Amino acid sequence: MVAGISDYLKKIWALSIKDMRLYYFKGPTIVMGIIMPMFLWLAFMIGSSPSMGSAVAMLLSISSFFAASSITPVILPWETRQKTLEMILARPITIELILLGTCLASMLYGVFVSLVIIVIGIFLGVCPANIPVLIVSILLSSICYSFMGLLFSAIPSDVPADAVLLSSVIRMPLIFISGVFVPINRLPAFIRPLSYISPLTYYADVINKLYIGNSAFNMGIDFSVLLLLTIILGIFTIETNRRTIIKRL
Amino acid sequence: MTVVEAIGLYKSFGPVEAVRGVSFSVPRGEIFGLLGPNGAGKTTTIRMITGLLRPDRGRAFIMGIDVHRDPVRARSHIGVVPEVSNPYVDLSVWDNLLLIGKLYCIPKETIIERGKFLLEELGLYDRRSSKAKTLSKGMRRRLLLAMALISDPEILFLDEPTSGLDVFSARRIRSMITELRRNGKTIVLTTHNIDEAGMLCDRVAIINKGKIIAEGTPDDLRIRYGKYIEIKVSFDNSIDSSVLNEFRDHYNVTCDERWVTIICEKNELDEVLDKIMNIKHRLGLRIKDLHIESQSFEDIFVRIVRGE
Repeated sequence: MVAGISDYLKKIWALSIKDMRLYYFKGPTIVMGIIMPMFLWLAFMIGSSPSMGSAVAMLLSISSFFAASSITPVILPWETRQKTLEMILARPITIELILLGTCLASMLYGVFVSLVIIVIGIFLGVCPANIPVLIVSILLSSICYSFMGLLFSAIPSDVPADAVLLSSVIRMPLIFISGVFVPINRLPAFIRPLSYISPLTYYADVINKLYIGNSAFNMGIDFSVLLLLTIILGIFTIETNRRTIIKRL
Repeated sequence: MTVVEAIGLYKSFGPVEAVRGVSFSVPRGEIFGLLGPNGAGKTTTIRMITGLLRPDRGRAFIMGIDVHRDPVRARSHIGVVPEVSNPYVDLSVWDNLLLIGKLYCIPKETIIERGKFLLEELGLYDRRSSKAKTLSKGMRRRLLLAMALISDPEILFLDEPTSGLDVFSARRIRSMITELRRNGKTIVLTTHNIDEAGMLCDRVAIINKGKIIAEGTPDDLRIRYGKYIEIKVSFDNSIDSSVLNEFRDHYNVTCDERWVTIICEKNELDEVLDKIMNIKHRLGLRIKDLHIESQSFEDIFVRIVRGE
């Protein structure tokens, strides 16, 4: 039993390393994971004069979100197009292991980008109030975002741009309704229900609490809802991809 | 001992019935060929047996393990080279092998030792640090074969192993297949290259429109279905085609400037040769060349597929 679990973990790690080596430097990953959030942040910064703490919190919120959800949409379409998917599926692994390997690579990308921003913030004199809580929130939200990204790859297409387009259509509005740039209580009432089902809302709330001391919810609520959304998205994503992955062969 | 078994496999894609009740079994150490024209259902059958596709009906077993109940354990006994597949082109030859080895949870030292041996055998050792995208098609195919063999599997599934390769690459892969059989491996291969199947396989099943329509050793099939022979004769002078009318009633005869070709059943050979000699003497001709050939395995395959 323990040997079985250990073998599964080794396989997930091997798949994840493969994804990191192959996809971290692909165009869509860099554009959607690093450049896009950076420009969005710059666009908001120009003309407004937030505090350094607010600026770092905003950048951290959107960068984690974009980075962790940027790789997962492109991997399966890419592997379908490159004709490597059937080759890898024929090994003693399950579809779930492939998906978890992909999510792990994506999560680590999100964590890495977030850590870079935290370190830059520290150099600029902006320190989070509680580093362990910050790390836990980054890990949990990155898992959640990577599942979200993987959901976009459930369309059995071999064109990575299809998944990138779909993910952009969904992710961009989330930035504006999740309290990153505009606090939730200042959003129109009809948008707020959508804010409450966005995982970014709860992550941004934790970040705001840790960097500027403001938050819309209790931190316990933030983590509970984030965990719940992660579980729901995880199950839904794996089940959806499990059904469609065979259509890619 | 049977190591691969397919029992009544069915698979439809929408209204298209791709596989309709395919059953066969393969004993240990045999090269079994699944032959058929394009779209016959070969790849779908292999995908069901290797657990990539779930059959609508029927079951498949690898080493007695139900492939769809325990696909991971079943696949740990097999190596697969799918028909349309690639290694990871942005990884090196060596890293592709390492990755696959890790997915079988093979210790790193074993991967290194086996990987070195396989790359040397397949003529890729000098290219081990090259990215797979720099390899030719034949080399990529050989790399896929090495990747399938890195776990030292008991059973190897090769879907169109030499399709689209040049003569030299195809020969290298064929000689590796023969070598593997000598080492006791069981090999299931699909091909539409009939001569290759005749050359390599101990037993073949011919599949058409999703059904197995003939099964046996290549020699069995030759005896069972290859009852015709082809006689080609060339005379020193051209002959009037009306002279051949006496053949036309009974045999399939064609004639061009050089050759008269007569296709007859084997037991009619003596009679046909008598008639040829009769024409020769009657017209005062000399025979310049004469060929008598059994039907090729390809001809037999075509006849079986056409249901003749």
